Amino acid sequence: MKVMVCLKQVPHQDARLDVNADGTWIQEDNIKFEINSYDTYAVEEALRLKDAGDAEVVVVSIGPDRVTQALRTALGMGADRAIHVKDDAADAADALGTAKILAAIAKEEGADVIMTGLMSDDGNASAVPPMIAELVGIPSATGVTATEVSASSIKVERELEGGAYEVVELPIPCLMAIQTGANQVRYASLKGIMQAKKKPVDVKTLADLGLADSVGAAHNKTSTDKIYIPIKGDSAEILEGSTDEIVSQLVTKIKELGLL
Amino acid sequence: MGTILVVAETQKGAIREASYELVAVARGLAEAGGHEVNGLVIGSGVGELASEFASKGAGKTHVVDDAAAANYNVEIWSKAIKAAAAATGAELILISNTPTGWDVAPRVAAGLDAAFVSDIFKAENGEGGFKFVRRIFNGKLGAEISSKGQTVATVQPGAVSAFEGSSEGGTEALSSDTSAGVKFVEIKIAESTGVDLTKADVIVSGGRGVGAPEKFPEVIQPLADALGGAMGASRPVVDAGWLDHPYQVGSSGQVVAPKLYIAAGISGAIQHLVGMKASNFIVAINKDPDAPIFEVADVGIVADLFDIVPALTAAVTAAKG
Repeated sequence: MKVMVCLKQVPHQDARLDVNADGTWIQEDNIKFEINSYDTYAVEEALRLKDAGDAEVVVVSIGPDRVTQALRTALGMGADRAIHVKDDAADAADALGTAKILAAIAKEEGADVIMTGLMSDDGNASAVPPMIAELVGIPSATGVTATEVSASSIKVERELEGGAYEVVELPIPCLMAIQTGANQVRYASLKGIMQAKKKPVDVKTLADLGLADSVGAAHNKTSTDKIYIPIKGDSAEILEGSTDEIVSQLVTKIKELGLL
Repeated sequence: MGTILVVAETQKGAIREASYELVAVARGLAEAGGHEVNGLVIGSGVGELASEFASKGAGKTHVVDDAAAANYNVEIWSKAIKAAAAATGAELILISNTPTGWDVAPRVAAGLDAAFVSDIFKAENGEGGFKFVRRIFNGKLGAEISSKGQTVATVQPGAVSAFEGSSEGGTEALSSDTSAGVKFVEIKIAESTGVDLTKADVIVSGGRGVGAPEKFPEVIQPLADALGGAMGASRPVVDAGWLDHPYQVGSSGQVVAPKLYIAAGISGAIQHLVGMKASNFIVAINKDPDAPIFEVADVGIVADLFDIVPALTAAVTAAKG
């Protein structure tokens, strides 16, 4: 069984977010990046399939040179090989353009199972995974918290609202977008990191995938015109002063609420 | 002008409130842009619900009524929505950003080769498309997005008030392929383990900023105890296995509205805010002055929770005498 995992490298969750000069994205220079949190659970879920049988795990990412680090981490965790789509035009693609790239790779690879995270920590769109499935023509499930694999199908639990879960059975081939908390993500061991250095990373361009004339900024159907720090409006009254002064104001508030 | 298609969701035998919020967004756009609004209801035995949707704002409503659609199914829904888009020539298709919406909406967009924008809370007509406002980076930044041509958008539940007017239009059966490879098995409800935060007057919740599992019993629980309340947590804490799921406050955990909610080291991702913003009084403690939690808080403290929380615990204990 061939399992393809799509992963995105995103700004570190504690990175300082400043708006860039033209106001359309964040300033990416001199900040730390990491594997999107949701995608780490997807990598782990794929490696569990490998641990349980004879699956090959291929990790795929789109982005500039820095993305190599994310792919090496996944290889260090146990993935078998990596595909790095390195092309400025690919970086500029919107969600549908991104899905077209990943769908082309899934078809080329003949992936039996595609795993992704439910969403990315930067764009928060939850857009790409079901799009890949639609473009490849396979079933999909999102918000997956548990998987049970048999020969020709996978039974999954999808997280709904308020503690409810939907159980569905997907025929293979299929795509699953994994929810955070679905498993306990392993760390790359020292041995794993050493072995990862010898594992292949194929670098591809849009031209290699036959997408040079259909994916990129000129083909986007959506554009981000502006990003901004939200105006706080009539938000919180900020308490200031020493710790003792702040605590004393808080105790007064709690007394006013009748809770002390 | 073209058509705006509003996709309804049913829950417990009724049209969801969120579906009427979609109608409100559609009616707002139609008022300025002259669009026609149409509805779509998918399910089994949903004829009456479709009539209700048609008369309460959705206008002419297309219905896929089939025993195979008794439970949500991603393939049946994506085919039905694409069929309704073709039948109406919809310029804009609105779907709620719920577990159903985020499962099906991107498939529909890819199938139609249409623009896709998710989790929006504001929409306007644009030049040859639409303009939307949404949040990115887990609520820390806002973004204005434009779409070109046919567009599929999902709308954040609760972002606008539900439409309360009426409309005419009636219903029309829509023929759509209801075969599917995905099989529905069952709905499971997580077992209750005795942590019922919904009954607590005071909740002290900790987030990723608490930093380590042992800090919950050491720092967060003592303040909850001193105030006679309960301890809660945000999703990353539960995902990391620091606390069990019953402690989770948010859209996928418990939805609470205590007299006092203290959020310590919680940045305020939308899924957490949905679960606690109805609280009577909210205190937020966070080192990051730009954390979205401060937008819903009544009182904010920009400081290290490890300075404030233990001192507050001591002061509350002292005040009780």
